[in-house]
Amino acid sequence: MKKFMFKIYMIGFMVLTVYFMIMIWNVTFAHIYEEYHNRQEIEKIVELKKTMQKKAKQTTFEKIIIQSEERVKHYLGYRILDEARIEGHFHHIGFDVGPDNRSYCIDCHGDIPHDKAKDLRAFLNMHAFFISCQTCHVQLEGDKKTGVFKWYDRGTGEIIPSPVLTGSPGAYRAKIIPFENVNGKPMRIDSKERIAFAKENRERESELTEPQKSKAKKIIHNIVSEKPHICSDCHQKDNPLLPLASLGYSQDRIDLILSTEVVGMIDKYTNFYMPRMLHPGSPGNGKE
Amino acid sequence: MADYPFIRTINGKKYFYRFTVNQRIQHLILAVSVVVLVLTGMPLKFHDTSWAPYLYALFGGIQAAPIVHKVFGSILVILFIFHIFYLIHIIYRGQILPMKKREGLTVKNVLLVLVRQPLVPNLKDARDIGDLMKYLFYFTNERPKGDKFTWKEKFDYWAPFWGMVIIGFSGLVLWNKEIATTILPGEALNFSLIAHSDEALLAALFLFIWHWYNVHFNIAVFPMGNVFITGYLPEELMVEEHYEYYVKVMTEAGLENEILPPHESHEHESQHEGESS
Amino acid sequence: MSTTYIRKFRYAGIVMFLMLCMLAGTSASPADASDITNCLLCHKYPGISRVDEEGKLRLFYVNEDVFNNSVHMKVKCEGCHTDIKKIPHDTAKKVDCLVECHITEPSTETKFSHRDVATYLEKSVHSTKDEKGQPKEFAEDLPSCKECHDNPLYRPLSFFKSQTPGISEDALGRCRTCHKKEEFIYRFYNHITSRLHKTRIPLNIAEVCARCHDNPDIVARHNLSTRAAFSYGETFHGKAAKYLSEKIPDCLDCHVKKGTSVHQMLSHEDPRSSIHKNNRSNICSNTDCHPDASQKLSNYAVHAEFNLEQSKTHYFFTLFFIMLTGGTLLPLMGIIFLDLVRRFFPNASMKRRKK
Repeated sequence: MKKFMFKIYMIGFMVLTVYFMIMIWNVTFAHIYEEYHNRQEIEKIVELKKTMQKKAKQTTFEKIIIQSEERVKHYLGYRILDEARIEGHFHHIGFDVGPDNRSYCIDCHGDIPHDKAKDLRAFLNMHAFFISCQTCHVQLEGDKKTGVFKWYDRGTGEIIPSPVLTGSPGAYRAKIIPFENVNGKPMRIDSKERIAFAKENRERESELTEPQKSKAKKIIHNIVSEKPHICSDCHQKDNPLLPLASLGYSQDRIDLILSTEVVGMIDKYTNFYMPRMLHPGSPGNGKE
Repeated sequence: MADYPFIRTINGKKYFYRFTVNQRIQHLILAVSVVVLVLTGMPLKFHDTSWAPYLYALFGGIQAAPIVHKVFGSILVILFIFHIFYLIHIIYRGQILPMKKREGLTVKNVLLVLVRQPLVPNLKDARDIGDLMKYLFYFTNERPKGDKFTWKEKFDYWAPFWGMVIIGFSGLVLWNKEIATTILPGEALNFSLIAHSDEALLAALFLFIWHWYNVHFNIAVFPMGNVFITGYLPEELMVEEHYEYYVKVMTEAGLENEILPPHESHEHESQHEGESS
Repeated sequence: MSTTYIRKFRYAGIVMFLMLCMLAGTSASPADASDITNCLLCHKYPGISRVDEEGKLRLFYVNEDVFNNSVHMKVKCEGCHTDIKKIPHDTAKKVDCLVECHITEPSTETKFSHRDVATYLEKSVHSTKDEKGQPKEFAEDLPSCKECHDNPLYRPLSFFKSQTPGISEDALGRCRTCHKKEEFIYRFYNHITSRLHKTRIPLNIAEVCARCHDNPDIVARHNLSTRAAFSYGETFHGKAAKYLSEKIPDCLDCHVKKGTSVHQMLSHEDPRSSIHKNNRSNICSNTDCHPDASQKLSNYAVHAEFNLEQSKTHYFFTLFFIMLTGGTLLPLMGIIFLDLVRRFFPNASMKRRKK
């Protein structure tokens, strides 16, 4: 037994020695190579400079997507503000909202999904931060409709008590999800089965035939209604879509959400932009 | 010296006296201060690693760690100076003074004494390295028959010796940059920094890998060699590393018939296998 | 290199715990001080964002708590976003930092603007035009306001008994005796104490400079001799900065003449510059730094790199130590490895195989 332990020990130490050798190489001779390589790079740039050119930007996924996010810590003495940095952005973000780990949709569509209605997309994305996609994009009708909406945690995916009174507006780290009627029981519309189905599709997409792909896509999107709920379905005093009080909103907040300020603004939008909004992608859409 | 017989026998096992109390204390101070210096210095050299901030925070971060580093650096410098005086003292008392009485003092004689110090590298070390290579590449089953101090131990002695000169001097320059630059040009600080940190890296890796492997982690010694505490080296290690010296001291002690055969890994291991099968 | 350099600053040691106190300390500020037109009705929602046609994230969120702790806390939204007159509004124009922003500068009682800063910048080495007023080569690489500044945050200090970060309630109590407006007291206190020291710690300053000065493309295109923040990071000053020391000098301490605007940074070839070889010795021997320093100390090469082009002596000196370290350790590692193998397979033999 002792001998066996010694054998293991020696093999372990051999691996360790190899690791040390690599480490020593990295802190010594590797610097010589690195210095030479850097000089070569600089020569290339200087060569390009003669013709007033710049080195072509690297177009790899790694460079453009992975390395594009930067974080900064602002050391204020009494506090460290640790936040993402967006190039050229002036205002501070100040906190992070973690990813929505439960969502049926955002693995494909992302957390900032609205893009087509150019005048409204920032507003829609703002709502998508605390309202699940299905709330607006699935119109439950008939006996499917329950009228039940609840909050779920972005991190764990579990249903939680209303965060409205404790969190700051729109930054709850939670989302509203509708419930549908399944065999007389209200069930979350983002059922585990649906999420598993969508996930499997993503993972096995490469092995599908073209008709299979289309079929999967159809099934995944079959709950999506053609026309989504629009702003005024909620932002109106007369029977709004979301039961704000039971979602934990205080009367002050409900009054604000249904206030003339908000509703009036939506009216303005409806008058000026709505005709185009309902036909996204049509010419003349947006002012940018 | 009466407390420290040259060969001590405990439970039938022989132990050989190697280091005096003075030497062991010097070594202990050296070891502790080097460990602290490395721990407070390396987070600066490798400031971009993930572990560095935690290690540095352990020593009080940027407010306190540099002070800890300077305190232990000073201890090491004082130890080094003490060691030089210690060396001069024992060589003078032990060898030069008797020589003076015997045959008179000449420059040539003094140089000969210095060159023949047991820790000064010599041709035998080159032969031993050659023999070790033969052994490691399986050309022979005999380990090199080391003298009182093998080439490894001489390396272990002279590497920190040279390191302490370089690191100590450059460290003092960096510490007292205002005074140093009244004499030296400003660029000396750049060179001091490079020398200080690079030489420290060499010393740290040398000690923590090479030295520790040879004296602690090697399976002949594992889990820990304790000669640096007791001053006594067990017989089997004496046979393995210092065979030539071993034979010499055994003969001097009149124990010729108890001399063990030279260590041969081949035979030794096959014996074990014979037992287990 | 620049991104990895910045990524290296990911730690904050044990001070991280302070983050938990994030919102607690600042909520004392009066709410929506500058939001008279109720822009925050929408812009307080963090999700208000879109991805533009180039794939760039455009975030329209304004964190009210953080904003009210910034130097612009009294400026109304429309003070900078001058083109927004109605709600809902169209796509807003880029903010012109030089606009007169409805703030009155108290000493001259004129309208406030950052125009003077722009004038300094135009005279500096970072100007987009050369001495003859011609556009410089690759002028687009040169910084405008937002390349270096996001919304500057207050870094108040308390001087009660000892100097600590934060706000001294005792001092505020004194203010309240005469000044009745809480918002005024808060802003005035923050303004004064933040201005008494650096608005950003050395590490944050080095990060800002690093965005351009560590970018190898920009360094090569503009004939710069070093990746400045990188080589600074290799000095003790730079390393201490990474460990969040505020006592050590950052880029601005050496590169700007004392008592002048940091925006008027000059080339080391300019005789007016603080880092011109004739002026350099005054930097180190500053009373706050090395008052006993001799002239020679300033010949210390702060931006020395291991680079053959930059300095041959540095290169070969470093090379010697690299050779010494690698050349000593690697063979010794080899011996350890062989020793382990030898002990692991004690019965193999080259001799036997030959037979």
